[in-house]
Amino acid sequence: MRRRIVFLMLLGTFIGLTIWITGIGKLGIYSTFTGQDLLRETGVHLQYVGFAELLAIVIGVSLGVLVSRPWAQKHKISTLVIGAAGMGQCIPSMALIALMAPLLGFGLWSVIVALFIYGLLPILRNTYAGFRSIDPAIIEAARGMGMSRGQIVRRIELPLARPVIMAGIRTSTVINVGTAALAVLVGGAGLGRVILTGVLSRQPLITLQGAAPTAALAIILDFLLETLENWLTPRGLKVKKAQA
Amino acid sequence: MIKLEKVTKIYPDGTEAVKGISLEIPKGEFCVLLGPSGCGKTTTLKMINRLIPLTSGRILIDGKDITEVNENELRRGIGYAIQEIGLFPHMTVGENIATVPRLLHWPKGRIQRRVEELLELVGLVPPEEFVNKYPAELSGGQRQRVGVARALGADPPILLMDEPFGAIDPITRERLQDEFLRIQEEIKKTIVFVTHDINEAIKMGDRIALMRDGRLVQYATPAELLAHPKDDFVRDFVGADRTLKALRLLRVREVMDEQPPSVEASESLSEAGERMRQLGVNFLPVVDREGRFLGWLNRSALRPGREGRVQELMTPYSVLATPDTPLNEALSMMFESAVGNLAVVDGEGKLRGLLTFRRMHEVLRESYREEDEK
Repeated sequence: MRRRIVFLMLLGTFIGLTIWITGIGKLGIYSTFTGQDLLRETGVHLQYVGFAELLAIVIGVSLGVLVSRPWAQKHKISTLVIGAAGMGQCIPSMALIALMAPLLGFGLWSVIVALFIYGLLPILRNTYAGFRSIDPAIIEAARGMGMSRGQIVRRIELPLARPVIMAGIRTSTVINVGTAALAVLVGGAGLGRVILTGVLSRQPLITLQGAAPTAALAIILDFLLETLENWLTPRGLKVKKAQA
Repeated sequence: MIKLEKVTKIYPDGTEAVKGISLEIPKGEFCVLLGPSGCGKTTTLKMINRLIPLTSGRILIDGKDITEVNENELRRGIGYAIQEIGLFPHMTVGENIATVPRLLHWPKGRIQRRVEELLELVGLVPPEEFVNKYPAELSGGQRQRVGVARALGADPPILLMDEPFGAIDPITRERLQDEFLRIQEEIKKTIVFVTHDINEAIKMGDRIALMRDGRLVQYATPAELLAHPKDDFVRDFVGADRTLKALRLLRVREVMDEQPPSVEASESLSEAGERMRQLGVNFLPVVDREGRFLGWLNRSALRPGREGRVQELMTPYSVLATPDTPLNEALSMMFESAVGNLAVVDGEGKLRGLLTFRRMHEVLRESYREEDEK
């Protein structure tokens, strides 16, 4: 409950700041961004995050399922793949986005690919961890009753790992809302453009006009995904243990 | 019928877990695979439903080689219960039990009826109280009942059980064993049951396959195994108290003296005393006019010249057996009772027989003599 209140207060502050600065209009020779501008940039920002996350979820979960198979573990493929994904996240976000420009040119694709690489690890790692945390006896019972491999993944493993996977998606999304602000460096748009405009014109208020809604966006998405996570957690995993 | 022909299992790392086992399990029999840990009993069990592929040899079910069937279809026709149970925590009790019927695409109504029937069978009543619960809401014993019900889901003719009662506290285990034996009376499945507990094996099995180091040492009925251990390993494994263990296999009705002498409560003491002298016994059971057992008359309480009726001097009984009481329990009761004899009564309380130490001794001597003379 207390967390909720802090949440709402922060969110209120950020939104309030944004509205206030937008209302100022003129700052010396500069003018602040209009509400329409902000909405448009927020829309673009969300598109970047959404598109990259979609890719990261599809590929991250599939890879996570693949590397959690017994043969992948036996041949140490799991360690390799997760290690490689970890390297992606080791590269500072700004460097990663900047590296994309020479490879993929300035524009949309550089942004999406960079965000995808950045968002992949939490999802992949959590999917793998979620599958690994399932009691082997459950899988053995399922096999012993004649479930096929596919049925075991769909009916048993995925539902049981879902809360952990969702937590990974949440982490990944929140990270990428921040990282997407760097899209402007490779010719993208989004709220990063507002921030950069403020930096270049040495107008802290304009910088804040981009930063505050970015933060608000992260908070809102975090809250929405948490609700979704809760809703997707199977009821049997939420009931209190009656007896030990 | 399950038939194992020279079955071996060699793991990729070179361990020989099972070294050429041949075994036949007749339809409807309860076969226990018994042995110390690492003897290959669980590996043998898991080869029957192909959870572990065999290296060489053949396993036939009703004459058909198990490798000729699709492995998932094979498993759907064989019930499987394990010590860790492995209930699906995100599914309700009902959904867990319905696992195999669903895989077999049974119609909904039939699945629902089957689930209720099984919950009743394993003693989770009333079914509607349990069907929508989740495994986390159940006790350990209840969970294993669900595990057994799930294994019986689609009414498979064969049941494989890997130490199903191993992780349960001794009191609940005893009760689950008794209940499972009662269930088996009803359903008559062909069961392969793995355990390392000799007492459980003796109690549950029609036949015991004792294994050691991947080999079958002796395959026999519990009585046979106890009375005639094949070698020192078997003798050690069944334990020095094997005679006492054998008691559990016998029922009172097989050992008791039928139609024992008795006195009626309303008879006179002098008559009763005379009868005891003639029979040369120190205790006589006392019954009422309908033949219901009331207590004991002790010869030492009778003094010459004492007048009166038997009921005035009668000692009420403290323990009773029925014809179906296992002999180990009966023996224990005999030690508890001051009389040293045990009255056997039927459901109506009528005296049906008498169990004495002498009779018990004779019977046990009989079955073990052959071996003593070796």
